[in-house]
Amino acid sequence: MTTLEARRLVKDFPVRVGLRRVKLRAVDDVSFTLVPGRTVALVGESGSGKSTIARMIARLEKPSGGDIALTAPDGSRVPDRHYRDHVQMVFQDPFASLNPFHTVEHHLARPLKLHGRAAGREETWRQVLRLLERVSLPARDVVHRRPHELSGGQRQRVAIARALAPGAKVVVADEPVSMLDVSIRLGVLNLLARLQREEGLAVLYITHDLATARHFSDDVLVLYKGRVVERGPADDVILNPRHPYTKLLAAAAPNPDARGRALDVDPAEVERAGAAAAYDHTTGRWEDVRTAG
Amino acid sequence: MTDLGPATVAPPRGRAGWRSMLPRWSPKLGVGLGLIAVIALFGLLGPLFVGDPVTIRDLGLTPPGGEHPLGTTLTGQDVLAQLAHSTRGSLHIGLLVGVLATLLSALFGIVGGYVGGVVDEAFSLFSNVMLVIPGLPLVIVVSAFVPADQRGSWTVAVVLAITGWAASARVLRAQTLSLRTRDYVAAARVAGEKPWRVIAVEVLPNLLPLLASQFVFSVVYAILSEAGLSFLGLGASNSSTLGTMLYYAQNGFALQREAWWWFVPPGLVIALFGCGLALVNFSIDEIINPGLRDIPRRPRAEAVREPAPAARTDDDVVLTVDRLSVVYQVDTPVHAVKDVSLTLRRGEILGLAGESGCGKTTLAYAVDRLHRPPAEITGGSVTFHDRDGEDVDVLALRPEELRAFRWSKLSVVFQGAMNALNPVITVRAQLEDVLITHRPGMSRAARRARCEEVLRLVGVDPRRLGSFPHELSGGMRQRVVIAMALLLDPQVMIMDEPTTALDVVVQRGILREIMRLRDEIGFAVLFITHDLPLLLELADRIAVMKDGEIVEHGPAEQVHREPRHPYTRRLLDSFPSLTGERGAFVRSGEPAPSGGAR
Repeated sequence: MTTLEARRLVKDFPVRVGLRRVKLRAVDDVSFTLVPGRTVALVGESGSGKSTIARMIARLEKPSGGDIALTAPDGSRVPDRHYRDHVQMVFQDPFASLNPFHTVEHHLARPLKLHGRAAGREETWRQVLRLLERVSLPARDVVHRRPHELSGGQRQRVAIARALAPGAKVVVADEPVSMLDVSIRLGVLNLLARLQREEGLAVLYITHDLATARHFSDDVLVLYKGRVVERGPADDVILNPRHPYTKLLAAAAPNPDARGRALDVDPAEVERAGAAAAYDHTTGRWEDVRTAG
Repeated sequence: MTDLGPATVAPPRGRAGWRSMLPRWSPKLGVGLGLIAVIALFGLLGPLFVGDPVTIRDLGLTPPGGEHPLGTTLTGQDVLAQLAHSTRGSLHIGLLVGVLATLLSALFGIVGGYVGGVVDEAFSLFSNVMLVIPGLPLVIVVSAFVPADQRGSWTVAVVLAITGWAASARVLRAQTLSLRTRDYVAAARVAGEKPWRVIAVEVLPNLLPLLASQFVFSVVYAILSEAGLSFLGLGASNSSTLGTMLYYAQNGFALQREAWWWFVPPGLVIALFGCGLALVNFSIDEIINPGLRDIPRRPRAEAVREPAPAARTDDDVVLTVDRLSVVYQVDTPVHAVKDVSLTLRRGEILGLAGESGCGKTTLAYAVDRLHRPPAEITGGSVTFHDRDGEDVDVLALRPEELRAFRWSKLSVVFQGAMNALNPVITVRAQLEDVLITHRPGMSRAARRARCEEVLRLVGVDPRRLGSFPHELSGGMRQRVVIAMALLLDPQVMIMDEPTTALDVVVQRGILREIMRLRDEIGFAVLFITHDLPLLLELADRIAVMKDGEIVEHGPAEQVHREPRHPYTRRLLDSFPSLTGERGAFVRSGEPAPSGGAR
């Protein structure tokens, strides 16, 4: 089974402030391991660095520091040129991640051919239909359609099928349901969970929504200003948050059961606590985050 | 897994997105294509039917008629025969330049834009240099440099292509830069596609309309420039074009001799061909930017408004919407809002929940009459019950009354309104602008004081008045927009997804501000969002909208505890509880038990 280990990832972006060029540290010393059959959720607000981590795992950005090691089922390290056979990504916006010019068939047939999963037209065609059935779409009905002829939920299912096409065992899902209507979100998340169980996928689930992070992941990492400030099993982190920032996030989420409540966490307290230390629920200790590099 | 034999469904053959790339049929396109077709056929087939264009006859400057339908030149050559051959020559050069210039601009624009970095810098520097070199003088210099006997149509075409591609390259580069950041390009890279394939298969097809428009533009440019060059005597020596015809007409003093049949036909062919191409280009532009399309409007039926403006039943009510219907009058009319009735009480927050496309935003626009064609109110009434006892029939207001009504009685905060602040004007100027428009008599000092007051109300430091919008965070900008909506002390505020684009913590702060202001000032809020849990916590009453209709309507507590409509239950079930039981949210990987439609 393929395992992905991210070790002390750092990403700096150059920014111009007036005439000076300074480095903005978007991701600072983030480590985690993705193992088959388990989901790790990265939770944070916009600008916390969670999407940058996703893009580094998908090799769309180069880390400024740290490394990403991919271990094949036989224990050997996967060479770079085979990296994308194993690691694939589902993007946030299914309206943007499918090319409006091409049919559903094109979107699935290309990765199949590129990664040598199907040879010849007949074989590719069968595989495309099989992939569409795996994501519970009426294969023969949608295969010839173009993205604008599909609903948001259908598009995201096509995007998930595309991620599975190369035979990937590690899937990065970057806010996979945040652009979808609420009534179809659960269906898409359950689809991901089913595929994960059937194929033993390792999933990195990136979200700003604490509630789905709790229900659809095993472990949660809370990101604040590019650093992990709290980590641990999903229920522990969400139900028993220790870092003021996690508490603030939990308190701010809409909660119909608590009408008229006050926000019991002062945002100033979060500022004071900063991102210097992280609470690890598995060891039950606060750990200092040393600046890497 | 079912076995899908190849016999069951055949693989598709050669299907591509061409259909969506074709321009929509319109009179403009028809006329343009017609002109081009007629002239192209004339250039293509004409030379086969007319006589030799260079035969000299003893019939100098015969007016049109008889044997020579378009008359003859000074040396007795048949103008029609010349015109046919010249049109062919001009089209030949136009096409050559069109193809060459488009290839060059595609190479420099698309490749540079996609690859980025040093390559892009070098390519765009080169195209910028080509752009600032004045085209026609360079063409003249280059043409003059090549000896006249070697100046074939290819030479002229290459010269014109070299001087004419740079502007298109800039346009293509800008578009490529925008396409490059699209998720589907990133997705293709993650799938492992090679860069050249990403350009050719993912980026290029989406540039086709733009390329077509640039091609058409190059053809027009080439035909006109070639005519200019030939007119100056610098054209191709081995072929006759419309420009050389004009050149000989000029040299033969056609104008002075009033031989209009000599110079009008070539001039007219150039003008009509250019016109045809430009008309086609309009249609291509509509593919690139659908907003340019003329919306076909059906004849405006006078809205049947049976219900008279609702009478005040209760002093507590501030806004009554009665059986309001809104229809989008497109080819197949879309009934976006169907017979919706709502009442908004003073100081109440009424939540309107629904998913995308349910008509909630259309309703918000219609209540303030901000809807635009093709949307049309086809029935119902909107009545505003003023604090001082007057009832206002909003749908019957005349334009100037409507202007006074908006903002001062009822203000609106739209989705993404924070990004609608003008980035180059200070917050103070934008706030004061509302007061200057609606309260012309107000003194400068009073205006300033009012602006500071509203900012303080929404929890923004009044010292921020001098800031520009980009100096404020998203949450702060949204507060400024709410302050702007408060300026004239409205009795009703309509808020359409005011916090959707914001982070939860910022959203929480703004929601608290709205609730506090409601308590202090006592305005009523119509709060529109897809986020039902948020409404359950915030609103006094909730209306759930689906497919243009209100399917459930009641106090928030009741909607939460005992939802009656299946759709409401489905919506409620879609939000996992943060702290409560898992309920249907066990990560079983199976479809949730209640309702397979999800």
